[in-house]
Amino acid sequence: MLRVLTLFAVALFALPFNAQAQKPIKVGFPMILSGPGALFGEPALKGAQMYVEEINARGGVLGRKLELLPRDTKGNADEAVRVARELILKENVDFLVGTLTSAEGPAVSVVAKENKVVFIAAIPKTDQLTAPDKLHPYVFRVAATTTTEGRSAAEIVAKWPVTRVATISPDYAYGQDVTKAFVEHLKKLKPSVEIVDQQWPKLGEADYTPFINAQMAKKPEAVFSSLWGGHFVTFAKQAKPLGYFDGVKYNFIGVGEAASPESAKTMGKDYPVGIWGNTYDAFYWDGASAAHKDYTARLVKFLKDEQPSSWPIQGYISMQFLVEAIAKAKSIDADKVSAALRGLTVITPSGPMTIRASDHNATRGQLYGKTVMDPKFPFAILKPAQYVAPDGFMD
Amino acid sequence: MPDLSFVFAQSLSGLTAAMFLFLIASGLSLIFGVLRVLNFAHGTFYMLGAYAAWQLVQWLGAGGWSFWLAVLGAASAVAIVGGLVERFLLRHLYAEDELYQLLFTYALVLVLSDVAKILWGTQQKGVARPPGLEGATTLLGATIPYYNLFIVALGLAIAGLFWYVLQRSRAGRFIRAAALDRETLGALGVNVGALYTGVFVLGSFLGGLGGALVTPVRTIVPGMDTEIIVEAFVVVVIGGLGSFWGTFLGALIYGQVLAFGILFFPRFSIFAVFALMAAVLMVRPWGLLGRPLK
Repeated sequence: MLRVLTLFAVALFALPFNAQAQKPIKVGFPMILSGPGALFGEPALKGAQMYVEEINARGGVLGRKLELLPRDTKGNADEAVRVARELILKENVDFLVGTLTSAEGPAVSVVAKENKVVFIAAIPKTDQLTAPDKLHPYVFRVAATTTTEGRSAAEIVAKWPVTRVATISPDYAYGQDVTKAFVEHLKKLKPSVEIVDQQWPKLGEADYTPFINAQMAKKPEAVFSSLWGGHFVTFAKQAKPLGYFDGVKYNFIGVGEAASPESAKTMGKDYPVGIWGNTYDAFYWDGASAAHKDYTARLVKFLKDEQPSSWPIQGYISMQFLVEAIAKAKSIDADKVSAALRGLTVITPSGPMTIRASDHNATRGQLYGKTVMDPKFPFAILKPAQYVAPDGFMD
Repeated sequence: MPDLSFVFAQSLSGLTAAMFLFLIASGLSLIFGVLRVLNFAHGTFYMLGAYAAWQLVQWLGAGGWSFWLAVLGAASAVAIVGGLVERFLLRHLYAEDELYQLLFTYALVLVLSDVAKILWGTQQKGVARPPGLEGATTLLGATIPYYNLFIVALGLAIAGLFWYVLQRSRAGRFIRAAALDRETLGALGVNVGALYTGVFVLGSFLGGLGGALVTPVRTIVPGMDTEIIVEAFVVVVIGGLGSFWGTFLGALIYGQVLAFGILFFPRFSIFAVFALMAAVLMVRPWGLLGRPLK
């Protein structure tokens, strides 16, 4: 009897041990899932979920499955910090991936540093996230940055035969930083450029007409805009009948994903076709690699949407970097994974990307191009959509 | 010095902004004037009006009269929602402290915005300009979109209609009386409860109408409710909460100060508006045309 009891006791002790080995790797995913930002946060989560489903079907990583724990940050940095703490302290997550705004990213980065948990920021663009005084071993980013995005646009505008350039951007951190990066880089590339006007409507301005009129009065030849998402749609709807885009002969470049398939779809024939814009991804990308075509086909099935959103790719790439770093480190130890992430190159659906050891930023470019109407779609697309890699102008 | 056609264009763009704001803020002001309830959910009614208009345009198909039917249908639907909210929920709070009413309308904002998310998702949506109002005309060298002209005309028409109803009709007399002294009005045998419901329905209708009418020039997206409510509050604070003409004046001032403020303070687009609001609050805390609260 005693023998049986001893065996039972041993088995009891052994059980949790076995369970430990098969326990999934837990990844906390703080993301905006309600309110206005959910427009981008929800599809980004879907991309991460698709990747996790695929990797788990192949047996996971290091023989362990992945478990994604999404949490709603409500677009609020304090709430993002709260859910990040809850994920670490209560759920014992091994990693943090996600966040959307440039307020949430740096806030969660502080939590990651305190708790020594690797955090991969999926969407925040602010340079502050990885500025030298804020950088620490556990924070990484796979999004574009305000520097790379502003400079990419400057590279394009520098080739236009224009000298009188104006800007219109939402008056908060992202709009200010990306506009500054654009102006500085453009002046460096083409010193003859003159900035003739800068409009700073507040974020979420409902009526852009006064700003549009004031800008037109300065007679710019080209315009840079960082009004993003629905703000761009509202702006463009109001600017078009005022003859704003005709006035600059469509020498207009909208960053902040102004040319995303989502914004183009929202506007349909109202889109100011002929302007330039950018997007993270485009299901119709004509110059896409086989890997991207395959990714899009899987995404169409996963989302049951023939024309999927351009945002899942950010969740997908974040998880791709995390899993490949775990595989390379052969461990889920934060310091080992952090070391593995530095300098790691991953073949993403958007092409190869490297997380730079110097500033922990991925060499994430975006698709840029001129918008055209294509008979295949009832909305404007980028044709050709050109992937602008930022490798040459990140420093 | 900017030339005259620019000044004209700029003042007209301020006027357009003002008329949109007036359409939205008038309902907020009307409800406060009579019910003494600061309806935080007014912006949410505006958002519901926009979503409902989009939905109706999808069902009716684009073109023809569908946009106008959708606008009327959406505003009516929001009015019904407003009526139900007042009759079955808000009514129970009149006896309570004003703070409870405020909390209740704030709770409505949260609940209804989640309902909107469940019904319509998070994708941004757009409605095309109605046929006949797509283009623009040139006035004194300034390009003016037809739709903006229409909104200015409609704003003025609604202001005129309101003035007539409030001053000349029996219902208008009751509304004015209720704003002054609801107890006495009740004692005189007027059904104050029905009057309150009616005013709330009308205010909600205006909010929904504003939301439906902005769909051709703005994006329909979650969060449009909280963006607009702040602007509507600024308008009624400047003009005077509860004062109809105060709201009209507040909207006009807001539009012009925004339009010309950005010429002087390009880095601080809303600075001028808020500075004005602060000044009004210091000199006349009850607004330019409002009356002091007891």
